[in-house]
Amino acid sequence: MLRYKALIYNILRPYGAILFLNNKFAGLILLAITFINPSVAVSGTVAVIFTIIFAELIEIKEEYLSHGFYIYNSLLVGMGIGYIFAPSITSMALVAIASAFTFMFSFMLNRLFSAYKIPILSLPFSIVTMFVYLASLKYSALISTLVNNATIYDIEVPLILSGFLKSFGTIFFLPNNIAGALMLLVVLNFSRIVFIMAIVGFYFGVLIHSFLIGSYEQALSNPYAFNYILVAIALCGIFLLPTIKNFLLSLIGVAISVILVDAIGILFNYYAIPVFTIPFNLTVIVFIFILSIIYYKEFNYNIKDTPEESLSNYLSNIFRFGKVYTKISLPFSGEWVVYQGFNDKWTHKGKYKYAYDFVKKKNGKTYEGDELYAANYYCFGESILSPVSGYVIDCRHDLVDNIIGEVDRVNNWGNYIIIKSDLGFFIEISHIMQYSLSVKAGDYIKVNEIVAKCGNSGYSPEPHIHIQVQDLGVIGAFTREFCFTEYYKDNELIFNSLPKKDETISSVIIDKSISSRLVFILDDIFKYAVFKDNKRIDEIEFVVKMNQTSEFYFEDKDKNQLYFYNDATQFYFYNYIGGDSHLKWLFILLPRIPFINKNGIEYQDYLPVNLVKDRLGVITTLLISTIKKDYYKTIKRYKYYSNKILSDNGEVVLEPLKKGFVKIKYKNIKLTRIN
Amino acid sequence: MKKIYEKPTINKIDFAMASKYGSPLKAQKIRTEIDGISVNELTQNYGSPLFVFSQRQIEEKYNTLYSAFSSRYPDIQFSWSYKTNYLNEICKVFHNLGSIAEVVSEFEYQKARALGVEGKDIIFNGPYKPKTDLKIAVQEGAKIHIDNLFELNDLEDIANELGIKIPVAVRINMDTGIYPAWSRFGFNYENGEAYEAVKRIYDGGKLFLVGIHTHIGTFMLDANAYKAATIKIMQLKEQVERDFNCDIEYIDLGGGFASKSNLKGIYQAAEVVVPTADDYAEAITNAIYELNKSEKLPKLYLETGRHLIDEAGYLLTSVWGYKRFPDGKKGYILDAGVNLLYTSTWYNFNIELDRRYDGDNEPSVLNGPLCMNIDVIEENLMLPPLNRGSILTISPVGAYNYTQAMQFIRYKPAVVLIDKGGNAKIIKEIDDLETVNYKEI
Repeated sequence: MLRYKALIYNILRPYGAILFLNNKFAGLILLAITFINPSVAVSGTVAVIFTIIFAELIEIKEEYLSHGFYIYNSLLVGMGIGYIFAPSITSMALVAIASAFTFMFSFMLNRLFSAYKIPILSLPFSIVTMFVYLASLKYSALISTLVNNATIYDIEVPLILSGFLKSFGTIFFLPNNIAGALMLLVVLNFSRIVFIMAIVGFYFGVLIHSFLIGSYEQALSNPYAFNYILVAIALCGIFLLPTIKNFLLSLIGVAISVILVDAIGILFNYYAIPVFTIPFNLTVIVFIFILSIIYYKEFNYNIKDTPEESLSNYLSNIFRFGKVYTKISLPFSGEWVVYQGFNDKWTHKGKYKYAYDFVKKKNGKTYEGDELYAANYYCFGESILSPVSGYVIDCRHDLVDNIIGEVDRVNNWGNYIIIKSDLGFFIEISHIMQYSLSVKAGDYIKVNEIVAKCGNSGYSPEPHIHIQVQDLGVIGAFTREFCFTEYYKDNELIFNSLPKKDETISSVIIDKSISSRLVFILDDIFKYAVFKDNKRIDEIEFVVKMNQTSEFYFEDKDKNQLYFYNDATQFYFYNYIGGDSHLKWLFILLPRIPFINKNGIEYQDYLPVNLVKDRLGVITTLLISTIKKDYYKTIKRYKYYSNKILSDNGEVVLEPLKKGFVKIKYKNIKLTRIN
Repeated sequence: MKKIYEKPTINKIDFAMASKYGSPLKAQKIRTEIDGISVNELTQNYGSPLFVFSQRQIEEKYNTLYSAFSSRYPDIQFSWSYKTNYLNEICKVFHNLGSIAEVVSEFEYQKARALGVEGKDIIFNGPYKPKTDLKIAVQEGAKIHIDNLFELNDLEDIANELGIKIPVAVRINMDTGIYPAWSRFGFNYENGEAYEAVKRIYDGGKLFLVGIHTHIGTFMLDANAYKAATIKIMQLKEQVERDFNCDIEYIDLGGGFASKSNLKGIYQAAEVVVPTADDYAEAITNAIYELNKSEKLPKLYLETGRHLIDEAGYLLTSVWGYKRFPDGKKGYILDAGVNLLYTSTWYNFNIELDRRYDGDNEPSVLNGPLCMNIDVIEENLMLPPLNRGSILTISPVGAYNYTQAMQFIRYKPAVVLIDKGGNAKIIKEIDDLETVNYKEI
């Protein structure tokens, strides 16, 4: 049964994928729409089925098929053949041959392209269909089946509208106002952003084109104008996030595609073949190629089902987990003061600007008594803690600690340690006290582990800790941007941030008793009695499960899913799929649990918009967020107090001794653990 | 200002003494005040010699150590080691910070009770616990840490007398790779004595085990020794929980954390050799996490004394006179000597002047007021010429000095505590003839 479901899904998915929609209902409706031209519909369906049969024949793994683009290229080829030849044994044979080839060709191109992190889009379709069209000029058996591809049913609308609708339909080989309008409605239902970009892309492309060729009518009726639509959607919503900046990029992309459409058109006309989606493919591939290599900030690294979901996921991530990928813990314990931050006035300059210096202060002074003795400095001799988990790859501690005021200009870095983080980057800590290292090169150390003592060696006018993150594991390598995972400022726990100069902050030491209570294992079951207004009304259970991509989640009996992650410093929920449920409330009440045991600590978090707003609210919020990102923020404040996380929505009580949560309270509902 | 006449002296110049840290003939360590109150004012108001304690420093040190543990471990309890310093006001500072009491005699037990500490908040340690006092402690619910089998028998007698089962802990000793290993207290781990003692407890059926305690030594400069000790305690805990089906509520790692004072024979600065609070906390808590097999983490007790109080204590002393010894050294007579500075045997104290003095440093001997040849605080210290009445601040002296100070030849001095607001208050008056003669017939 499961297999049939998967099969049907595999047939429907490519239909949606052509319009960048990952939804089986969208696929089903689009399949139905293709029947406006039965020849296109039949050929397309046959192509999909042949491709799946071929895939079965070579026993390809299921997960390859779940990548829609292997099949949707075949679908396009099939529809392309159906567009010129009516269904017949011969044309079906052609479809079968072409589908198998398209499938393999897609697979190959994808392998080659993925090395550069670029998608194959519909390039295989364009190339294969080009060959098929060229070849079919010789196939006399097929000529008889040539069809008049103007569809029978259509309505008349003004050119300004019909140009767009027909173009939109042409994406499915259906240059038809009704098809275009229906497809547009499907798109509107699933994604407003795709809808808007389709319109914007088309009319902007036509505007540019009419400006160049001097006739807007000709521009409007250009059969290849659908390329503009695809470029606009791909560059502002699908591969790039739907933001203002990407909106501008997509307009540039559309303008480029106008030129490509005309140029390729002239070339291909010579052999009487259409340009297909080559302009779209070329434009988008070029954009993605460069933007992914330069780590463009508004690149969509996690493509979700719709641009709205991608945006929501992206915004939720940057607000909750920071924009900077490289995160480390503070290299000390207790309360310290920032002496120099990024790009600061003394030594944190140019290629070395991403570095921090810390000292300890009391009453505004870094020392007590005589300022000439290093030992009188509060930070001298304090423990240096590893800010990451990883291997020590280099270190030295033979240099003497300077007298105050003198610096070692030969060995700038002084005694140092370089740690290769498990995440790939390198941490360098300088000015370590002579002979204070407690680890050696090759040792594996965990975050918070003591590695050395703070000293005054190297280019250091007074004892302090210098820390920087590097791309390379050699001393003196250039620095790279980072932020601190968490720190306390007074009673506030701050995540993924950078303390300002002269700010006093305290480090967060991980309480392993908390982290060990939040390690959930597959098939762990948590049973709760549900009370409403203190009356027991139900009994429920949450089960720990894992999906194909190794993401863990809690699931209830209604298949609502709450995804969680447990990293070195905190436990957090990051995704919820489902309707209103206790699990959804658990996310709202407890978006994250820092591994701390410090009463009275408060912190804020941002909740994904779909948790707190209704469908209309979500739609409007996401539309506005494309222009103003801060509009997405839904700030909630939380407070930790003796195993409880409190907020104005309710509270969750953690189990003091065993795994999980004892009590979950919100509104008039109370869940109490019973197993 | 009129220059004071100084008799010329001839010093051998030792070039090895001149280092990049400057000439030892010029360097002077100066301390004009403690927590904002000038040392001269303190001695004028309260006399000399004078012990001075800083509440601010006690609390800072306490909070640093406490948060080093509490941030890593959820169930931590400090217990103030009375013998380190049992001045009432000092004990109160620690109790107010959240410490319970750790006592090692009936006298200390009574002192804690008199300070209002409940029996359940007293850990009763030590090799000598008089039976009558032991019984009182049992009745008041104190945590009894058994040192030897005689005491175990005593406790069983008490259990019979009272008709109850008594919750107890055992003290164990072990090899943690440090020298000297303290093997005279409690039962040995390696030779199985500790396990046998627990077995004996359950064979007797009068007592039941709730805790395991060890105290591996004093002034421990290697945090890893605590890791070794914790591992052994946790192993024993698992073994006895399994074999005797009991639930060990707590483990007690004792004390012994070093303070930042300069031990004789160690030539590096205290900042270099003394482990930080984090070092100790990490060693102990990591070992618990690694070895804990039961569902519940044990409560962790610590009986830290010296580490918390030593640096918060100062002794102010005045120069009474000086003379030139035949070997050319200058000998100062101070009003405080080894009678007040028990730890001078193993510490090189930090000795600071009340102001900058003119003249070059010269090798000096600091003698106390006792008419005893052994009354030497420092045998060779480079000091500028001091006058009668110059105040020297000796530190750190917060731990073991006052409690071990002798009433010998002179009266025991007064003690001042400077509170967090910077106000000095006398917490113990200077003794007089009446105090010394009290109870004499």
